Amino acid sequence: MWRNYLRIALTLLARNRVYAAINIGGLALGLAGCLLIFNYVRYESSYDSWLPDSGRIYQVQTKFNLPGQPARNVQMSPFIVYEKLPGGFAQVEAVTSLAPGKTVTERDGQPVFIDVGTVDANFFDVLGLPFAQGSAGTALPDTNSIVLTEREAIRHFGTADALGKQLSLGAGPGKRDYRVTGVLRNLPRNTSLKLSLLFRRDLAAIPPEQRGWGNFDQQHYVKLRRGADAAAINAGLPAWEKRNIPDAVIDGKPATMSDAVDLKLVPLAGVHLGATQDGGLAPGGDPRALATFAVVALLTLAMAVMNFVNLSTARATQRAREVALRKVLGASRGQLIVQFLGESLVMAAIAMLLALAVVELATPWISAAIGADIRIAYLGPAGMLLPAAALFLVTGLLGGLYPAFYLSRFRPAEVLRANKSSVETPGNGRFRTALVMLQFAIAIGLIASTWVIFSQTRYVETVDPGYRRDGLIQIVNAWRFAKGGEYDAAHAAMLAIPGITGTTRTSLPLASDTRPVWLVKPPGAEEYQSLSYYGVDAEYLQTAGIDLLAGRGFDDRIALDRVPAGDDQARAVRGVNVVINRAAARKLGFRTPQAAIGQTVRAMRGGPLVPSVIVGVVEDMRFRSAREAIEPAFYAVDPDATEVVLVRFAGARPGEVMAALNKVWRKFEPEIPFEARFVDDIAHELYAADRARGMLFAGFSALAVLIGCLGLYSLAAFATERRTREIGIRKVLGAKVRDIVQLLVWQFSRPVVLANLIAWPVAWWAMREWLNGFDIRIALTPTPFALAGLLALAIAIATVAGQSLRVARTNPIHALRYE
Amino acid sequence: MLTMRELSKVYRTDTVQTTALDAIDLDIAEGEFVAIMGPSGCGKSTLLNMIGMLDSPSSGSYVFNGQEVAGLSESKLADVRKENIGFIFQSFNLVDELSVRDNVELALLYHNVPAAERKRRVDEVMDKVGIAHRAKHRPSQLSGGQQQRVAVARALVASPKLILADEPTGNLDTHHGEEVMRMLQTLNGEGSTIVMVTHSPAHADYAGRIVSMLDGRILQERRRAA
Repeated sequence: MWRNYLRIALTLLARNRVYAAINIGGLALGLAGCLLIFNYVRYESSYDSWLPDSGRIYQVQTKFNLPGQPARNVQMSPFIVYEKLPGGFAQVEAVTSLAPGKTVTERDGQPVFIDVGTVDANFFDVLGLPFAQGSAGTALPDTNSIVLTEREAIRHFGTADALGKQLSLGAGPGKRDYRVTGVLRNLPRNTSLKLSLLFRRDLAAIPPEQRGWGNFDQQHYVKLRRGADAAAINAGLPAWEKRNIPDAVIDGKPATMSDAVDLKLVPLAGVHLGATQDGGLAPGGDPRALATFAVVALLTLAMAVMNFVNLSTARATQRAREVALRKVLGASRGQLIVQFLGESLVMAAIAMLLALAVVELATPWISAAIGADIRIAYLGPAGMLLPAAALFLVTGLLGGLYPAFYLSRFRPAEVLRANKSSVETPGNGRFRTALVMLQFAIAIGLIASTWVIFSQTRYVETVDPGYRRDGLIQIVNAWRFAKGGEYDAAHAAMLAIPGITGTTRTSLPLASDTRPVWLVKPPGAEEYQSLSYYGVDAEYLQTAGIDLLAGRGFDDRIALDRVPAGDDQARAVRGVNVVINRAAARKLGFRTPQAAIGQTVRAMRGGPLVPSVIVGVVEDMRFRSAREAIEPAFYAVDPDATEVVLVRFAGARPGEVMAALNKVWRKFEPEIPFEARFVDDIAHELYAADRARGMLFAGFSALAVLIGCLGLYSLAAFATERRTREIGIRKVLGAKVRDIVQLLVWQFSRPVVLANLIAWPVAWWAMREWLNGFDIRIALTPTPFALAGLLALAIAIATVAGQSLRVARTNPIHALRYE
Repeated sequence: MLTMRELSKVYRTDTVQTTALDAIDLDIAEGEFVAIMGPSGCGKSTLLNMIGMLDSPSSGSYVFNGQEVAGLSESKLADVRKENIGFIFQSFNLVDELSVRDNVELALLYHNVPAAERKRRVDEVMDKVGIAHRAKHRPSQLSGGQQQRVAVARALVASPKLILADEPTGNLDTHHGEEVMRMLQTLNGEGSTIVMVTHSPAHADYAGRIVSMLDGRILQERRRAA
C-alpha cells in the first residue's frame, strides 16, 4: 500500500513539474532561511557554555545608581568582591579576578597591541580553559610568567610549541621579558572571554587605597558549589554590600555608598546576550536583533508553508475524479487522508533535503561574513536533526491536512455524474485568497520596514552632528603623544604636513563607551545635575568646527581658562573657566545660551567642589550614536587629561595625510602602534549594525516577495484554468482580450490590495518602536507604506498578467465545446 | 444578411490534415430561421462558429451585412460579433458564480450600456422568457429548461440581428425542448434571424429552411412549405 502511495506521489510530481518545482522550491527557500537563522540564534546563545562547569560559573556585574544620573550597568566589579565575597557566602567555591587591558610588543619591526588579562592564582580553578602545553597547576607561578593561546604563540614564535620561551612585552620603562609557562588551545569564537595573553596579577602590590569598593578595574568570576542557588546569593547581596561598603561624605553630607552600587551574579553563559555590555572583553550580542531575525525567519517560513498549503489545495481540487474513482473502488476516507498526507510529506521531505543542502552550502559563507564560527551538527543537543525533523513534520502535515480532509469528503456519485475533473467550493477559494493575502501582508510589511530602516540609517548618518566631520582624523592611544613638550614638537611636525590646517587634543575619543560624569550644581540650586566632562586644549572648539552660540571660546592667554596642574583640590581653590553646550545650558536651567554667560556653577567628580565660570555656550554635538540622547557636556582646557588627537586637513589626499601622520607618530612614539581613523569612517561604523539589519530585511523582503509571487503565479494558473469556460462565455458575449486581462488581474490584485490593511498597522507599529530607539528620527510618513503596497501590487500584476493574457487570447470555442 | 463563398476550414496538426469545411456556399437573408443538420463530425458546429466569427476560415469569403469579415483581426471580429450576434449553447454555458440576473446582464456589460438602461432591458428580456421570478437564483438552482431560458435571455438582451443556437435542446427533455423551440419560433416571428444546429428532425421542422451537411459540405437545402 505504502509503495503504491509513494509511487503515485512521485509520478504526480514528475507529471506536474512546474507545480512541483514551485511548491518544493518555495518551501525549501523558507525552510533554509529558517534553519540558517535557527543555527545563528543557537550559535549566539551557545557562548561560553563549552567551558567545563559553565553552569556553575557566574560573572559579578555592577549597577551604579548615582544621584542625577541614569542607572548604569558594567561587567566590572569592585576589588572587595575578591577578598570578601567567599567569606560572605558559603555557596561560593572559588572567585577569581581578571583585569583586562592591552600591552605592546614588537613584531616585524612594528609595534602591535595585544589584548591581555591580568589574573590571580585562582583563575584556572574557576575558568577551566584548555591547555595545549603546560597545565593549570604550573601556569603563571609568578609575575614574570605569561600564558598565551596557540594562535598568539604562532604569531610571535612561528610555532605553538612555546612553553619556556621568552617574550618581551610593554613599552618604555615598563618593557621587560616574560617566560611562557603555558599555552592555551585556541578558544572557540563563541566566547565572551576574548583573551590572547594572560599576566599574573600581583595582589600584594596593590596599594591599600585601591583594595576597597572604589576600584572597578577588574571583572570577577565566581564558581558556586554544586547545587548552590545563585538567586539566593543575589538576594543576600544587598545586605552583604551594606556590611562591606563604607558610607562616604559627599558635599558635606553623608552618603550611603552601598545604595549607589548594586552587585549581581549573572550566569557566564548569559553574559554575551546580556543587557550589560559595558566593560566586557568582547562586543556582546544583540538579543533584540536576534529576536528580529527569528521573527523574520518565522514569517518567511509561514509564507512558504502557506504557499505549500495553498498550492496543495489548489491541486487537490483537480483530483476530484481520482478521489471519486478510488472511493468507488473501495477506498475508505481514512485511507485517502493517509494518501494525501503521505504525498504532502514526500514533498516536504524533498524540500527539507534541498533546504539542508542550501544550509550546508551557505553556512561557511555566512559564518565568514559575520566573523562567527557556526558549525553544522546534526546529532547531539545542539544538532540540527531534531529541529529539521520537526519542521519537516509540521510543514508536511500542515500542507497535507487541509487538502486531505477536504478532498476525502467528495461524494463520488456527484463528481462522476457531473463528469467533472475538478470541483471547487466557494469556501475553498476564499481560504486560498486569505492565505495569499497574508503572504502579501508579510511581504508588504517587510518592504515598508526595509524602506524605513534605510531612510533612518541614511538620516542619522547624514544629519548635522554639530561639528565638522569631513576632513577630520582621530588619533588614539596618545597618552604621551598628546602631552607636554612631546606634543608641542609633534604639533609643529603635523602642521608641516601639506594640507593639515590644525590639530587639537581631547580626553575622549568619538563613540567612546566611557563617560566621565561630573555633578554640577547651578547657582542657587539644591540639586546636582550630571554633565559629561571633556578635557580639551584651547584649539579644540575651532579645530573640531563647533559653532559658538554665546560668549567666547577658550583663549590660551587667559590663565583662568586653563585647569591648574595638580589634583581637584587645586582646581577647587582657584576655580576655572568652562564652556558648556546648549543641552547643558538647558539642563542647568538657563533660559537662553546668553543667560548662562558669566554664571558660576560648582562641579565635582567625588572630590571637592570646583567653582566653574561659564564663559561660552556652544552648539550640541553628537559624538556617539544617534540612538543616544545628546549629552549635556562641559569643556575645560585640561591638556594633561587628553589622550586623543584630532587633525583637521583640507585640499590634500586623505591617504597621503594619513601616511604622513604615521611617520610623525613613529618618530615620537616608536613603541606604540599608530591607530588613526577618518572621523567619517567612525561615524559610518556606528550604524553598521543598522545597515546590516536593513540588508537582512531587504534580503528577506526579496525572499518574501519571491515566495509570494511563486504562490500567486501557480494560483493564477489554476484559477485561470478553472475559469476557462467563464472566460470563453465572456468572450463570446463580446469581451475583448483587455477586458478579460483586467478581470483576472483584478481578481488577483484584490488580495494584495487588502493585504495592505494588515501590513500597514503592524509594520507601522514595529517601525515606530524601532525608531523610538533613536534620539533623532525621521517622521513616519505614509510614503513607505503606500509605495510598498504599490510595489507589491505591481509585482503581483506582472506575475499574473502573462497568464491572464494567454488565457484571454485562447479561442473561446475550445473552452465552450469540450467542457 | 450573410453570404459565404467557397468558404473552407482546414485543421492541421503535425501529422494530420482535417478538412472541416469544404468550399461552402451559403446565403442567409434577414428574418430567416435556418436549421443545420447532419451527423456528428460533419462540420455543423464549425460552420456555426464561422457564422458567429468565433473561428476564422482558412480560405474563401464571408460577407456579413455587406462587410467582408474573412480577414479581420480578432479585436475587429469581437466588435462585429458583439454588435450583431447572440449565442445559445447546448450546455447553456452560464457562469455558475453569477446570479441569473447577472448572467443576463453580462451580455450588456461589454456594450457600454448605462446601468439604468441595462436594468430595464434585463428586466424586459427576463420577463419575455419567463424567468423574472428566478432573477436572484444561481444557475445551479434551476432546472435545465430554466437554465436554457436564461441563456436565451442572455442571447436576446443585446438585441442581436442574428441568433446562433448550437443544439439548444440537446441537454433538455422533450417537454423543455419543445418549450425552447417555441420560444425561438416566436422570436423568429418577431423578426430575429436564427441559425440553429440540431440533431433532432422534429426541432428542425420549426425552421423555415433546413441545411443538411456531410463531411464538410452542404449536401442539400430544403425549404419548409410555408
